[in-house]
Amino acid sequence: MSFVEVAPIVTPRARRRKILRRRFLRRPLAVVGLLVALGFIVAAAFAPWVAPYSASATDFNNILSHASGKHLLGTDELGRDVLSRIIWGARASIEAGVLSTLLAMVVAVPVGLIAGYFRGWPDTVIARLTDVLLAFPFLILAVGLSAIFGSSLTSATFALGIASAPALIRIARGEALALREEDYVRAAVANGAGDLRIIARHVLPNMTSTLIVQATVLIPTAIIGEAVLSFLGLGVQPPTPSWGVMLSDAQSYLTQAPRLAIYPGLAIFFCSLSFNLLGDGLRDILDPRTTR
Amino acid sequence: MGGFLLRKAGAALVVVFLSSVLVFVGVRALPGDPAIALAGENHDPAVLAAVRQEYGLDKPLPVQYVKWVWRALHGNLGLDDRQLPVAHTIVSRIPISLELALLSVLVGMVIGITAGVIAAVRRGKPSDHAATTLALVGLSVPHFWLGLLAIIVFAVDLHWLPSGGYVSFGSDPIGNLEHMVMPALVLGTGLSAVLMRQMRSSMLTSLGADYVRTARAKGLSERSVVGKHAFRNSLITVTTVVGLQLGQLISGVVITEVIFVIPGFGRLTIDAITARDYTLIQGVVLVTATGYVVVNLLVDVVYSLLNPRIRVS
Repeated sequence: MSFVEVAPIVTPRARRRKILRRRFLRRPLAVVGLLVALGFIVAAAFAPWVAPYSASATDFNNILSHASGKHLLGTDELGRDVLSRIIWGARASIEAGVLSTLLAMVVAVPVGLIAGYFRGWPDTVIARLTDVLLAFPFLILAVGLSAIFGSSLTSATFALGIASAPALIRIARGEALALREEDYVRAAVANGAGDLRIIARHVLPNMTSTLIVQATVLIPTAIIGEAVLSFLGLGVQPPTPSWGVMLSDAQSYLTQAPRLAIYPGLAIFFCSLSFNLLGDGLRDILDPRTTR
Repeated sequence: MGGFLLRKAGAALVVVFLSSVLVFVGVRALPGDPAIALAGENHDPAVLAAVRQEYGLDKPLPVQYVKWVWRALHGNLGLDDRQLPVAHTIVSRIPISLELALLSVLVGMVIGITAGVIAAVRRGKPSDHAATTLALVGLSVPHFWLGLLAIIVFAVDLHWLPSGGYVSFGSDPIGNLEHMVMPALVLGTGLSAVLMRQMRSSMLTSLGADYVRTARAKGLSERSVVGKHAFRNSLITVTTVVGLQLGQLISGVVITEVIFVIPGFGRLTIDAITARDYTLIQGVVLVTATGYVVVNLLVDVVYSLLNPRIRVS
């Protein structure tokens, strides 16, 4: 009896994912970025279990102390453990960074799609409104919106999301505009496919790589944005820990304990760097010109 | 060329008009009653009513808007909470921020262009890797933290530079520059990182182009090939990048002025918002948006001058 070998059926999508995964693993910087970013996300999610102390546990006998066995990064001006505050602070940054980007995407992608795909007067209105919002620098918009919404992590997240949306709308609109001219879209139209089907099956899936790359650029901007808002007193309010608040508090102790300004800043830096590296890697592997 | 400019100017005008509406509505959306803020300690309803009438707060919103725009066009942006004319405060602060912005752009361009060119010419070599890594670091580092670090090292530890404040150029040029060095360097690094990457990328493209091969085949020295041909065409990239980074620059100026306690326009914005000084906020944000639109228009003009293909579109 002879056995007939049947090749496993691999869908084109699975094959592409395998290629992308291999390409990604060939880029050590991107892998490092992914791991560090995941580390911050895990720290933020599991802060109650990861952090040695609570963020507000004060110890007035032990203020401004240097690194020691009990406090790996020392204590701040109220005797709170710096390492724990940094771990708890990751919550504010990751939440603001990731959620605001998600909000921006949820708002911007449909709006940009409608403008770019349908053109006509919706496009003109949306394009003008986006131009107006883009007339305000990101930070001014974020600060202004924070002032309107009040000072809290939630309002900072909303403010950052809305401030990030206009640029994303422009990008989504550009993508939709280009994609609707593609041959396969015209073929679908000729076959009598309705708009919704074309958008769902042809336009939107082909926008995902650009959108993913944009998200990885927006997240670090939002992380730094949250830090700036908290630094200015417009975001997270004490005693909730946030890296920006820690930096702001550290300003009064620059001569006595400069390390209080160094640690939170390093946290912001590594967090945003990791997402940037991840984004660079993703952009590289999703580029059609890449061969490795 | 004229038609292109006119269309761009027209679009800019529409954007400025719509932004003014947004600013007006936005300030009205701020929590709190402006009448109470203006009346100060006195919460007597009769006093509040009188304040409302005096400031025209009882009129319908569109009327208030028109009055505000009319006055603004005549240079009258009202009085802030301390009864000082807003327009005057803004005008006195703008040159300071402008100096900071210009110095930062200078720093950014010098560092970014040099690093980008070196990285492109020495592609793949250690200096390229070093420059590219530094650029990535410069992109990810929060600049207000960099400012704090600079203060720690140069002001607190080494005592080389003052930790903040401002001295006008007219009264003490050296002191002025001393105060501006750190802020300009801190702000400039952000721009230089973006510029370096773009410069490297566009130089690599230019250096592979046919006209460069021709120049080399003609026997021109490498320096003149790089210097004249590739470099000049990358200037367009630089203009685009600087134009795109303007928003970041303004945001950067704001936060840098807060850290280095520079009495500029950026700090004025933050102070106004934190103090809920409505009139001041309105004036400041309006000027910011208008200025931003105008500068973007100027960048578009410069870009179209450099790249004739754009004028036709």
